[in-house]
Amino acid sequence: MNSEMWAKMHGATVHFPIALILCSGALDASGFFFPGPAMRRGLHAAGYWTTMLGALGTVPAVVSGLVMSKGVMLGHDALRLHHLFVWPAFALIVGLAIWRALAGDFATKKAPTGYLATVGLAAVLIMGAGYWGGEMMLGH
Amino acid sequence: MDTSIPESAAGARIALAALAAVIALASSYGLSLGLRRAASRTSHQQPTPEAWFETPTPSSPALVAQGRKLFLASCAHCHGADATGDEGPDLHGVQVSDRYISNIITHGIKGEMPSFRKKLGRDEIVRLTAYVRSLD
Repeated sequence: MNSEMWAKMHGATVHFPIALILCSGALDASGFFFPGPAMRRGLHAAGYWTTMLGALGTVPAVVSGLVMSKGVMLGHDALRLHHLFVWPAFALIVGLAIWRALAGDFATKKAPTGYLATVGLAAVLIMGAGYWGGEMMLGH
Repeated sequence: MDTSIPESAAGARIALAALAAVIALASSYGLSLGLRRAASRTSHQQPTPEAWFETPTPSSPALVAQGRKLFLASCAHCHGADATGDEGPDLHGVQVSDRYISNIITHGIKGEMPSFRKKLGRDEIVRLTAYVRSLD
């Protein structure tokens, strides 16, 4: 496949982890504030699965991006800024998914502020990566 | 119901999560190295090493203007007077490092672009790089 095909694949795959990770943070955070246990359990279950699918979704996004750029991990200008957000976001999302898989059921627990803060940071980083990715495609 | 987590278990979870993050980054780096090697085998343009803290080529309106003069004298007949490409490629918005640009100017591209090592001095290549970098 040529680099144009990989660029299309990158565009097709990056939006899933962006959307899923943003949703997972919102779902988990709201799950700690709802009084009803059934609603809490449902929100945390949705948060769990969006975290897992978001983390899985980072793999094709990262692989297609690396192949498309022929292995450039930093690059220059907007690509460099994109990568400076991408790599910490990728590491955080993978780490969060593993932690979440090991942490078990959130429904009976108090809000783990460290986890929510880290999800928030990952969300900010992934938005930054998305912004600079968009700048490369559409910016001047 | 006691929902507190034993401290050792919580620490182990964090350690495993951190380990997974490191493995993910290391795998990406390994894939990146493999792809760069494959790209260097199939291309005459050798990729330049990357650094986290890259020193940018000095740039100023004066340097860019001097670079433009050099460009018109040495490069415009192939890349076009406005650098949008002619026989050579369009140089606007190139996504490569400053060092890559200066390497190409210095060493050329075999069979495609001559080397300017003998024609241009180091300062002149810095000016030309600043000009190419200024092209949006």
